[in-house]
Amino acid sequence: MILLLDVIGRLALWLVLAPLLPGIINKAKAWVAGRRGPPVLQLYYDLARLWRKGVVLSTLASPGFVAGPAVAWVAVTGAAMLLPLGPAGTVFGFRGDVLLLIYLLALARFATTWAAMETGSAFEGMGAAREVSYAVLAEATLIAAVLSLSVQTGSISLGTMLEPTVGPGAVLLAGGLFIVLLAENCRVPFDDPNTHLELTMIHEVMVLDHSGPPLAVILHGAALKLLLFAVLLTQAALPMGDLGPVAAAGALAAGVLGVTIGVGMVESLMARFAFRRVPLLLTIAFLLCVFALLVAWREGTP
Amino acid sequence: MTTGWMLALAAACGVAAIAAGPRSPRAWLGLNLGGTAAVLAAAVAVLGGASWEWRGGIAIGGEPLHLRLDALSAMFLALVAVVAGAATVYAAEYWPDRLYPDSAPRNRAWWSTLLLSLGWVLVSSNGLHFLIGWELFTVSAYFLITLDRARPEVRRAGWLFLVASHAGTACLFAFFATLAARTGSWDLGPMRDRAELAPLFWLVLAGFGVKAGIFPLHVWLPSAHANAPSHVSAMMSGVAVKMGIYGLLRFSGWLPVPAAAGWVVLGVGAISALLGIAFALAQDDLKRLLAYCTVENVGIILTGLGAALLAAAQGDAPWGRLALAGALFHIWNHAAFKSLLFFSAGSVLHATGTREMSRLGGLWRVMPWTTALFGLAALAVAGLPPLNGFVSEWLVYLGLFSAVAERGPAAWATLPAAIMLASAGALALATFVKAASVVFLGAPRSTAAVHAHECGPGMRGPMVLLAVICLGLGLVPALFWPALGRAAGVWHPAWVQAAAPAPLATLGVVQLVLAVGAAAATAWLWFQARGNGVRRGPTWDCGYVAPAARMQYTSGSFGGIVGGWFGWLLQPERRLRRPRGPWPQEASRVERIPETVLERVFVPAGSRVLQTAAVMRRLQHGRLQFYVLYVVIGLAALAALAVTGGRP
Repeated sequence: MILLLDVIGRLALWLVLAPLLPGIINKAKAWVAGRRGPPVLQLYYDLARLWRKGVVLSTLASPGFVAGPAVAWVAVTGAAMLLPLGPAGTVFGFRGDVLLLIYLLALARFATTWAAMETGSAFEGMGAAREVSYAVLAEATLIAAVLSLSVQTGSISLGTMLEPTVGPGAVLLAGGLFIVLLAENCRVPFDDPNTHLELTMIHEVMVLDHSGPPLAVILHGAALKLLLFAVLLTQAALPMGDLGPVAAAGALAAGVLGVTIGVGMVESLMARFAFRRVPLLLTIAFLLCVFALLVAWREGTP
Repeated sequence: MTTGWMLALAAACGVAAIAAGPRSPRAWLGLNLGGTAAVLAAAVAVLGGASWEWRGGIAIGGEPLHLRLDALSAMFLALVAVVAGAATVYAAEYWPDRLYPDSAPRNRAWWSTLLLSLGWVLVSSNGLHFLIGWELFTVSAYFLITLDRARPEVRRAGWLFLVASHAGTACLFAFFATLAARTGSWDLGPMRDRAELAPLFWLVLAGFGVKAGIFPLHVWLPSAHANAPSHVSAMMSGVAVKMGIYGLLRFSGWLPVPAAAGWVVLGVGAISALLGIAFALAQDDLKRLLAYCTVENVGIILTGLGAALLAAAQGDAPWGRLALAGALFHIWNHAAFKSLLFFSAGSVLHATGTREMSRLGGLWRVMPWTTALFGLAALAVAGLPPLNGFVSEWLVYLGLFSAVAERGPAAWATLPAAIMLASAGALALATFVKAASVVFLGAPRSTAAVHAHECGPGMRGPMVLLAVICLGLGLVPALFWPALGRAAGVWHPAWVQAAAPAPLATLGVVQLVLAVGAAAATAWLWFQARGNGVRRGPTWDCGYVAPAARMQYTSGSFGGIVGGWFGWLLQPERRLRRPRGPWPQEASRVERIPETVLERVFVPAGSRVLQTAAVMRRLQHGRLQFYVLYVVIGLAALAALAVTGGRP
């Protein structure tokens, strides 16, 4: 019974809080630019509106066009449920759950790109091809980050491996993971979520043909994925082991907020990279994680 | 004893099918299905714990008959039975007398020969008999690959297969002969305590590696799998390639291995996985793509085996068991989803007459079953939860990660292997999104794709069966654990694992929840959308008004980004004719991905050998006086040698 309540509580927390993040990013960007900006809760209004709207389906689209967003959303939600939440820990951690998390994100990518390819549009094809190609580097980086955490803690389950120590390793890891966060969530400098120049986009261009409830599910899933990465990054880089439960929860929330505002700052202060430089940046992220790995290895050697 | 009778019954069915098959397709179908059912029963009995051994008084080739079925060979025998049964039914509709009056009878005879020889290889426990079965297997596979021998590329593919296979068999000849010379008998069995036999492992790796298609010995595999009829491709990729793995597992388990074996196998596996899938992503031929993906999956299996060898060499570390279990499980999983993929590709080929993905597209409307089944298999082969491919890859990863977390010396190998495997996984996802979407989604790119049709029940049935197996292996993996644990126990006696590790049971539950959740969410979303009202319209495409099917992303454009990263390996050949003049007439751009390893390494090396041989041949010209001179020179040299006593 307690387990069930725990699951429902976490699910509600994840699902309700996720759409807050894009709102905070937009507020931060508006603040830097000296504008007032859309309300923080804007995405909630958008989701509610889209959920009630009708759907226009391409004549070429198969049922997979609607199934794709649903499967991707379930996969991201499942991945989020695996993550420990600061002092509350995990609900059902097991050895190797971190790999399930990475592969659930991959499942979400499969479903999203499948749905994008349904429309037979070259734009969506471009987006899908970019998404799956850059993910190769992002996934290698993520695995390197996870390996460095497991070298550090000697564990391969999320519940116990997210206990970083203070030091250069944590900084390197935070840098690498932050770049992966930007790439996987299609933020500047990899992608520009505001542009309407479809030729330059990854994520937005894949969902051009979606409308109504499927689009709402996609937007919510994207927000959820951003929150997931922010929580993962915070717990992977911020040592919270010695804090009390309340302080740890506060630190986690502050960390997520900090990451979100950081994304907004990057977006305000940087331009999008040319596509040929994207692999370069991801390679840098990979190297940062590999260096974090080496630092962790060296520190642990007696 | 029943196991023996079941195998005898299967053998009788097989022989009868060879005899009756060419004339009566019905009898052939019945006999083959009966035989595979009997084999499956025997294999399941052995996997249940009753291993079987039989020494007969009969001698073949001067060697007494010695048959043995333990959990390891039974694992492969079960695989042969299931895939062969499905492929037999599939072949009955795919390669009927009506369409192929000339080659269909041949197909039936050689097919049954192939099944019989595969079974023989798996049960025989004598080096000589093993080699006889191995050769019969190669020859029957050759005749099956070249069923459609009117086409030159089929003959070339068959020839390449035959040459490569025999290069491998030569290593195996050397291996078995040396083994027999050192032990004094052709009889096979566990010989783990004879450390002087360890170097023979390299012959095993080379000989069986060719058949398994490890990089760079995979050169025969893409063309053979692509040009064979699809039921043969499924059998080759799902089962025949696994025979190479069987040999590796068998003899690395029975014989002692050199200290470097684990490092080498792990390295070969990780490289095969990464480079195999890089080649797969660049292909435009659907079946060639699947063939290269087989190289990747063999790489995953060998990564697991390599980690197990490392663990065994380093004091029986417990993570080796996980990696070995992952490798063993992946053997089954790969057979299930890859056969399904080849069956789907065959269904597409049957319906459209082309394997070129850039000429297909939009097939989901006319081929909904094939699309759904290919999609399911694509999810499985990309190693995504909640299907079976993920479970075995996860076990392999678990082994590699645990080795890293322990920070032993093995971590130096398992750490890069884990990163390479992760990249290979992401590339596999890209490959199969491309394959599925270019072939089945979007708008048809040619008239062949417009006029396609769904395959009949005879082809659909086996495909559904394999899809159900994929789902079953993925959703209740713990059910299959006892069999895997026993097979692991045969490989390394101390590694018998009766109970599934706790995380596997949890993973099974999570997979189930995930599958149900995904289905429920899809249904909910669909009902919500339908309740709000669904309107059909042309693709929005940013308001472009005249989209054409040829503007869609093709397989080449989809794989372009990654193809650029692997340009050093793929070395694509591009021919560009630009439009010229004020009224340009025609322009073209042709891009071909060569078989780099074959065309840039093996063929030049082969022609170098031939050139050398041609130079040497000048010595032989038929002029008698020169031959006399050779003899005189030779005699003089011998005389000089005799006089000096070999000292200069």
